[in-house]
Amino acid sequence: MVGKESVGSKIFDLFNILLMLVLCVVMLYPFLHVIAVSLSSSEPILRGEITIFPKGFNVGGYKYILQDPFLYSGYAHSIIYALGSTLFMLTFTSLMAYPLTIQDFMAKKFLSIFLIITMFFSGGLIPSYLLARSLHLLDTYWIMIIPGCVSAFNVFLFRSFYQSIPSDLRESAVIDGANEVQILTKIYLSLSKPLLATFALFGIVGSWNGWFEALVYLQDENKYPLQLILRKYLFSISFDSGTGTEVMQAMMAQMNVNPKNIQMAIVVIAMFPIMVIYPFLQKYFVKGVMIGAVKG
Amino acid sequence: MVLPGFLVVLVFSYFPMYGIQIAFKKYSAVRGMWDSEWVGFKYFILFFQDPMAMRVLKNTILLGIYSLLWGFPAPIILALLFNELKFPKFKKAVQTISYLPHFISTIIIVGILRTFTERDGLFNKIAGWFGIDPIVFLSEPEWFRTIFISSNIWQGIGFGTILYLAALSSVDPTLHDVASIDGANRWQKVLNINWPHIKPTTIILLILSLSGILGTDFQKILMLYNPDTYEVADVIGTYLYREGIMGSRFEYTTAIGLFQSLVAFILLIGANMLSRKVSDTSIW
Repeated sequence: MVGKESVGSKIFDLFNILLMLVLCVVMLYPFLHVIAVSLSSSEPILRGEITIFPKGFNVGGYKYILQDPFLYSGYAHSIIYALGSTLFMLTFTSLMAYPLTIQDFMAKKFLSIFLIITMFFSGGLIPSYLLARSLHLLDTYWIMIIPGCVSAFNVFLFRSFYQSIPSDLRESAVIDGANEVQILTKIYLSLSKPLLATFALFGIVGSWNGWFEALVYLQDENKYPLQLILRKYLFSISFDSGTGTEVMQAMMAQMNVNPKNIQMAIVVIAMFPIMVIYPFLQKYFVKGVMIGAVKG
Repeated sequence: MVLPGFLVVLVFSYFPMYGIQIAFKKYSAVRGMWDSEWVGFKYFILFFQDPMAMRVLKNTILLGIYSLLWGFPAPIILALLFNELKFPKFKKAVQTISYLPHFISTIIIVGILRTFTERDGLFNKIAGWFGIDPIVFLSEPEWFRTIFISSNIWQGIGFGTILYLAALSSVDPTLHDVASIDGANRWQKVLNINWPHIKPTTIILLILSLSGILGTDFQKILMLYNPDTYEVADVIGTYLYREGIMGSRFEYTTAIGLFQSLVAFILLIGANMLSRKVSDTSIW
């Protein structure tokens, strides 16, 4: 710094730091509150006394929720959909992006236009739904995995990334007698591991948090991903006396749990995987946003 | 090698485009799309005569404009404030915390929002400190936009700073030193050094947001709204879902969807042209 800081500048710094602390509280409070409620006993919850610390420790909400087979099936399906769609996304995108980097590939121009068109036009929700219905893909795993796995945007990003790999490498591999699949896997994919990792995380988080496709394409509750099970607990089931089923009432009374316990417990369970890998996740996401911005 | 990807795009992007024709037909699943009978612009006319349609259009546009007005500048301001922080570790920590809500699913966020907006929830407790009577926020149409937009900002503000911070990191520190020698204060430095550096990024993101003005996050609305708030909350996306998927009015909703994507396309072209004229920045 040159010269002395003015008083005004110092006041601003102080104000800025205070503002940032407020920001952190606003960002974190809801999550801490959710965890606190999930672990509190009924009475303080009903009196609205919970802030960020649990009162009257109680794990009844978790006990209740862990008895629901749908929780496990939701978890399992979310994992299947996330891993499946990400795996297909990485494979198909790489396979499509690589030939687009080869100078004398004949269909290059055609494929680029073929992809660009999809960036501006789409059939929309209803025609996609009718298509899935006529292909008998409703209520299948495939409809959750395949349709979104190739996006023009990703293909072009992968292509730009591959273009930054010197073409000499490819040419010498060709001379050594390597075929295209070997070149792609041994050279291009192994040199683009950071890219693959970033997009794998994008894919997994996107799929884990997504639910609308499942709502539209799946009617069978046995194939629901976790988010829809969560939705059921948070919005659809009414725990109020009179409307909730008697079995549920009895169970809740027996375990001394409040509906809020149960709801917040499942929220914690659904957030858990994301929170665990968050420090690692956010780093890659920041990188991913930059790649998208620079190349796109 | 390109075949698997090609087929996926062909089937799941191009086949639905082919399916758009039912917007102009009386769709019969038995006869198939191609052999269904043409009805011309019947469904478009139906849409524009439907009083519900006007409400949906108005809500979509208003929500889009308000979201842009409030939501667009927020990450820019935050990025400029982050940039003024002097302790790198503190800065890093605050940034990391501010990204968090971006990684949480809409269902969870709406779940938390519902808890906070209940009669005895957090918001009413805070309102109580100021002597305001409890409000059931989610049943009050006049509160819907505020809740929706402010929670969107909460979710996106931190993550939205990333691109601006990247642009700010390219500012040469000697520029600031020179400006200090010339007697510039901090505000002047922000205005004359930092802001010009993030302007191109701002313009590109503004073009993209303008073209997405009709594309409000209807999935979140789907969780957040209820018949009490339909009058302000029902947008094209939610209407399509209710009428199309739930109500099976396929032709009618396909027509609305087509109309929406045409408008979005025109907006994108228009915004890009405008920006090329005023600032030489464009996305292609």
